[in-house]
Amino acid sequence: MQLTHPKSVSAILAAASCTLLGSPVQAQETVEDWQFDTAILYYGESDRVQLVEGVFNANKDFGNEQIFNGKVVIDTLTGASASGAVAQPGVQTFTRPSGNDSYQIAAGETPLDDTFRDTRVQLSGQWTQPIAEDLRASGGLQVSKEYDYLSIVGNGSLAMDFYNKNTTVTAGLSYALDSIDPVGGRPIDFSSMIVDSGQFNNTDAYQQAFDDTRIYGSEDKDTVDLLFGVTQIINRRMLMQFNYSFSTSDGYHNDPYKVLSVVDQQGLTQDILHESRPTQRTKHSVYWQTKYALDQGVIDLSYRFATDDWEIDSHTIDSRLRFDLSETSYIQPHFRYYQQSAAEFYNPFLLESEPMPEHASADYRLGEMTAITVGIKYGMQLQNGHELAFRLEYYQQDPKNAGFDQPGALASLDLYPSVKAVIAQVNYRF
Amino acid sequence: MQALTQNTELEIRSDHICGRFAAMASPCEILIDSINSELGTQIINAAHQETQRIEDKFSRYRQHNLMDKINHSNHQPVAIDDEAFRLLCFADTCFELSGGMFDITSGVLRKAWRFDGSDRLPSTALVDSLRSRIGWKQVKFDRKSITLPAGFELDFGGIGKEYAVDCVAKLAQQIAPTVSVLVNFGGDIQVTRPRAKQPYWQVGIENPTDNKSGTAVVNIANGGLATSGDANRFLLKDGVRYGHILNPTTGYPVLDAPRSVTVAGQHCIQSGLLATLALLQGKDAELFLTKQNVKYWCFR
Repeated sequence: MQLTHPKSVSAILAAASCTLLGSPVQAQETVEDWQFDTAILYYGESDRVQLVEGVFNANKDFGNEQIFNGKVVIDTLTGASASGAVAQPGVQTFTRPSGNDSYQIAAGETPLDDTFRDTRVQLSGQWTQPIAEDLRASGGLQVSKEYDYLSIVGNGSLAMDFYNKNTTVTAGLSYALDSIDPVGGRPIDFSSMIVDSGQFNNTDAYQQAFDDTRIYGSEDKDTVDLLFGVTQIINRRMLMQFNYSFSTSDGYHNDPYKVLSVVDQQGLTQDILHESRPTQRTKHSVYWQTKYALDQGVIDLSYRFATDDWEIDSHTIDSRLRFDLSETSYIQPHFRYYQQSAAEFYNPFLLESEPMPEHASADYRLGEMTAITVGIKYGMQLQNGHELAFRLEYYQQDPKNAGFDQPGALASLDLYPSVKAVIAQVNYRF
Repeated sequence: MQALTQNTELEIRSDHICGRFAAMASPCEILIDSINSELGTQIINAAHQETQRIEDKFSRYRQHNLMDKINHSNHQPVAIDDEAFRLLCFADTCFELSGGMFDITSGVLRKAWRFDGSDRLPSTALVDSLRSRIGWKQVKFDRKSITLPAGFELDFGGIGKEYAVDCVAKLAQQIAPTVSVLVNFGGDIQVTRPRAKQPYWQVGIENPTDNKSGTAVVNIANGGLATSGDANRFLLKDGVRYGHILNPTTGYPVLDAPRSVTVAGQHCIQSGLLATLALLQGKDAELFLTKQNVKYWCFR
């Protein structure tokens, strides 16, 4: 049998029902309303970076599994971030990235660049729809803009269901183009930071020296990501997911605001150099996730292993355990453990006596470290059907010495200070 | 205080009232999101009265009612009221939507088919003779009257119970517009509005393939829910299972139909018809339902 209008039967019946019952016909009978998710997140490191982020997420099901997702994220970063230079027994003077000013760091303190301040706006849209029986396609675009940074990402994926939709195989591709145009230009790799200590005859002479270390204009980075995934329903309660992803990027990978100290045998700084990273990076990662539904909750456990040709290997274990407190509320403890090895070119500082390496960076994010996150989330459904959730987490990152000797004065200084942060989030869904 | 009418029950539970009566060959249950027994009594009495009114008027098992007159009219016009006219219009829409598969004149086929679990299929001659008495297009009706060809019968069995559920829900909404009321006639359900302190009502729907654990719990906040199909009504011959959903154009059961289909929609009657139309699709029932963008449960 062939129905006359197979897709609109439900809408026609709804209208006919209204006529029969003498109630007003409602428009859009079969299409679900927009659903919105909003969140405000605060991330605060003690004495360092503070971030406030607002997220507005909208979903709409246009029927027939045609789904639109749109998202706006706005965040504001303030505070200071470690520049990469080492602490010293005496006061240190650094030039700000713009070249317009300088700042001083007290003896024994980790040098932080406190001009770190930015607002980021990110817009994204994603469309998903079936293209054949058991086959869905999805495509999206994301644009992210900061003062000195622009990122454009396009993605596409296919998901195919097998065995009565118990197995879903996904393949995805994304391409990102990042463009950076730093304040005060891009420092030339391994160029010395120009510090005005009165050695210049006039401002022009200083500016000339500064400009000689800089390249003005923007620089790009291209990234291609491939993802293959299998999601398998194991039984009525358990679901498992395996992903493999491959990522390769080419272009400008430096952080233009990061520097390295060059020290002598006594551990005293002789020079400050701008960092230099390779222009290519290739990453592989595997991910396994299991969700298990309990009578009153959900266990969610995942593990990720990533390795790349910068020699950063990382392991992430993430676990969430949701307990339903009642029909309408739950509590969810969260624990995450992260560990990574240092990049092959990571150096907390360079020794004056040693030959210059091909590349070097003292960015703590490229060093050996462990990090833990512990937190708790409480969510509830309100009387009007909307959902409200609160999340509070503590994050601690502990950089480790990956086997570097600390000569002379450096021996007594803390070159690997921990980063401690608090994360608070409020989420409202309607 | 108003007293409960005969053959109805009222039970005050922790956070709601449950009322019960039997009608339309089904257990009828009314859940009221209030513990005000006076309001509960008023709603349950009105529900019982409305259900009896609809059953008395449209059941083909009653004598001297409207259906009896229409089904014994012998090609003479029978006067109808506005309610009957609206039901006939709805049946006409369903006929058109289903390409002739949903036909309220097809009830005569029950004279040939008895779905008692046996292997007794009717004779081809009997089925063919009954097919000559089926055909919605030969029925003439307008706002005032209906004329059936001789030997034809109408049967609102496919929509009557769902219609009654919606009518009772509408009545409850008029009596208590701010209170959530759930009307459940043997699994055909309508909720008037979301509950005040709970996000939804929880009701069990039968899983016909499993007689023991039997039910799936469904959370329903608002709108309608209805089930079509009956796993226990079938014939089995030479390894072929003949379910009780009949194709009016052939006079034979639809092959490969699910045992039952439950659909959630805005109205009980809309959900019921979607479920029935899905059954009529046979093996393509799930495909049909998926395209409708409604929540459904299909048991095979």
